Amino acid sequence: MIKPGAAHALLHSIKNRGLAAWVLAALFTGFYLVLYFTEWFSPLAQAIGLGSKWTLYGTLYTLAVTAGGIHVIRKYRHNRYQVVRTIVVIVVQATFAYSIPMLLKFLHQPEYYLSYFWPLKLDYLTPSYIFSLPLPFIIYSFVGSLVLVPILAAFFGKRWYCSWVCGCGGLANTFGEPWRHLSDKSTTSWKIEKVTIYAVLGITVVLTALLFISYGAGKANPQLVRTTGEFQSYYGLIVSSLLSGVVGVGLYPLGGTRVWCRFACPMAALLGLVQKVGRYRITVKKDMCISCGMCSKYCEMGIDVRSYAQANQSFTRASCVGCGICSEVCPRGVLNLENVSSRDPQESKLIQIQEVAATRPLI
Amino acid sequence: MHYVIIGNGVAGVTAAFALRKRDPHAEISVIGGESDYFISRTALMYAFMDRMNLRDLEPFERQSYTKQNITLLRGWVSALDASSRILRLADGRNLSYDKLLLATGSIPNPAPWPGLATAKSGLVNFVSLQHLAECERLAPTTRRAVVAGGGLIGVELVECLHHHGIQVDFLVRDAWYWPMALAPEEGELIADHIRHHGVNLLLGHEITEVKTDTNSRVSAVRTSQGGELPCQMLGACIGVRPAIEWLREVQTPPALGRGIKIQSDFRTSLPNVWAAGDCAELPTGQVEQIWYSAKRQGELAALSMLGDTVNYTPPLFFNSAKLFEIEYTTVGVRGAESFFRRLPGKNVSIRIMHDQGAVTGFNMLGSRWNHTWFEKWIHERRDLPYVLKNLHLAQFDVEFGRVSLSALGVAS
Ligand SMILES: Cc1cc2nc3c(=O)[nH]c(=O)nc-3n(C[C@H](O)[C@H](O)[C@H](O)COP(=O)(O)OP(=O)(O)OC[C@H]3O[C@@H](n4cnc5c(N)ncnc54)[C@H](O)[C@@H]3O)c2cc1C
Ligand code: SF4
Repeated sequence: MIKPGAAHALLHSIKNRGLAAWVLAALFTGFYLVLYFTEWFSPLAQAIGLGSKWTLYGTLYTLAVTAGGIHVIRKYRHNRYQVVRTIVVIVVQATFAYSIPMLLKFLHQPEYYLSYFWPLKLDYLTPSYIFSLPLPFIIYSFVGSLVLVPILAAFFGKRWYCSWVCGCGGLANTFGEPWRHLSDKSTTSWKIEKVTIYAVLGITVVLTALLFISYGAGKANPQLVRTTGEFQSYYGLIVSSLLSGVVGVGLYPLGGTRVWCRFACPMAALLGLVQKVGRYRITVKKDMCISCGMCSKYCEMGIDVRSYAQANQSFTRASCVGCGICSEVCPRGVLNLENVSSRDPQESKLIQIQEVAATRPLI
Repeated sequence: MHYVIIGNGVAGVTAAFALRKRDPHAEISVIGGESDYFISRTALMYAFMDRMNLRDLEPFERQSYTKQNITLLRGWVSALDASSRILRLADGRNLSYDKLLLATGSIPNPAPWPGLATAKSGLVNFVSLQHLAECERLAPTTRRAVVAGGGLIGVELVECLHHHGIQVDFLVRDAWYWPMALAPEEGELIADHIRHHGVNLLLGHEITEVKTDTNSRVSAVRTSQGGELPCQMLGACIGVRPAIEWLREVQTPPALGRGIKIQSDFRTSLPNVWAAGDCAELPTGQVEQIWYSAKRQGELAALSMLGDTVNYTPPLFFNSAKLFEIEYTTVGVRGAESFFRRLPGKNVSIRIMHDQGAVTGFNMLGSRWNHTWFEKWIHERRDLPYVLKNLHLAQFDVEFGRVSLSALGVAS
């Protein structure tokens, strides 16, 4: 039942695909279309002293993450994981993804975003671009994308990136909070997601390989360079602009906040694969789940958490970004995010006692 | 083979899936009067508070039933003839079975208060979808409500009404909050928390009379303390009991006590008829009214129907709940002595009960615990020092949010 009062009716409509949500979605989408495909924002940006429309966008983005983040911190103030995580999200956005690149630019250095890595940011392993940067940036790009990212994911799951560092995830988990529950929980969506996200990853990997080949052997083969260039610009248009911007954020009020992360992000795909074999998991407390469904409802990635919890099954899903909200909303404290290793003495003991508990009734 | 299950609650539906797992070919029908699909009534409160919609209450995707070839029938069963193995639904349909499972769950205890005879509306329960609909119908025209009964369902209803801006008087008969489960210290902690939210919790109060207005809607209650509390809604949350009334009327009733009497293999006194879940009375006379028991009973009853040897004894009691924001975990039983600590200024406390050198039970508020460890320690008859030394193993708080055991006075 909706709380009484016009304000609550409006809020309900915004959060539950009502008329207000459609209006907002149209506004957000329109904003992205104007941003990407026109120069209308440029005079405004210059008028307020921000130089380019992209700086204006960065400023708005950072404000949205900060304001949304403050709301989220207040809402979940009793949950230290949420508080710590959200503070980190805001700080990373305000520094690595905003003020540091601006400062770099001011110092006549490349405008480099320390919080982005390949394959989310194709540029950072695009040889023609990356090799034009000073050496420290080249090293950071390669080590970051190919070593740091997967190693951290093996230890902590993809969450260290997707819900602590990444700007897309950052916006979703702060400004996007009112819409997190709209993700579709059906098995059909899960099947679609598995096809689309790995398809995008495949395309990204192929494109990157082509970029390296044409960088190395381009002189001998101008046709390859041209085709790769075209491929790259389509990729930029479809994946980076349309999918991550227009669809990813524009449709927050209709499709939920992680449509991009779930169905298309190549970074999420790669991290998810590492996560499956890494230490991260959601631990389910035995027999305590009352199948209420709050965990599934508020999972932004559309994971039917309840189906695991009611089956007493601890689990690791490739798509889980480790936002921790399932654990937060569960009224019975059934779920916990953990980085475990079967070598942990505590872990092996727990498995042992759960087996005992499963095979014979206690007392 | 046609298995028929009456009741599409957790016991019935778990049984249906368990039957299907072992018998791929049998016909399986599940009859439910309350809803087309199995819903978790444990989430009724979230539907009432608009945190979920009704569809979210369904624990399984609708296609799971068709995939598992389980037939769902909507309707109330009103007649049972065990000699010819025929059921009749209230709408006149007949259904024959080979093996029958009664999993009809609970209904609220009827409100006993004088004056209710003239009340046509305003009295609500909070157990079924129909109750939820009635609550939602009345809430918009309710400024003040009285909820009677301090159990878990009562608290949930209070939280919902309070959420909708209704001033709630919460009447609890006992001297402190929830003495069935909590010691006075914890009772006071919870009572303070409830009051802190602006709910008027009245301990030691009972309703003595219900008053109605000219439209026959509840308008006030009088209490054992002499006061009168105006209200447009009156929530009766004074416990539930097995839904067996209809069985008293049928041609061949099974043996009934508080619930449907069963053997430890879930067989009732009737041939080819089993019972499980909230409606079943165990050979000990016990009626378990908890989610995991209903689930476990449903699963084991299915095995018994399939011909396995089943001998059910209830496990060591454990449960968890949430009282407004305070999470509660309990395992085991009371002991002669107990070790109690509360985090100063916080709604966090632990109580470890013990008897003759062995721990017997745990009552934990405001932090999360993995009860599996508690079960193990009770089972192993560990003493208090051992348990305190290992207590950290059972902590289940979120990362960065682990309650400090040393602040709780537990040296580790
Ligand atoms: C608000 C609320 C909150 C709760 N919270 C918790 C909790 O946090 N933890 C916990 O452990 N337990 C909780 N419980 C208790 C728990 O829900 C029950 O123990 C559990 O639902 C019992 O399952 P069951 O399958 O035996 O019966 P039910 O869930 O009651 O299902 C029985 C079904 O059978 C139907 N039925 C009955 N008679 C007939 C008939 N003649 N014909 C056709 N259909 C019929 C009923 O309509 C009902 O849908 C809660 C209960 C309520 C009401
Ligand atoms: S929120 Fe908790 S109790 Fe509810 S379905 Fe999920 S795990 Fe189970």
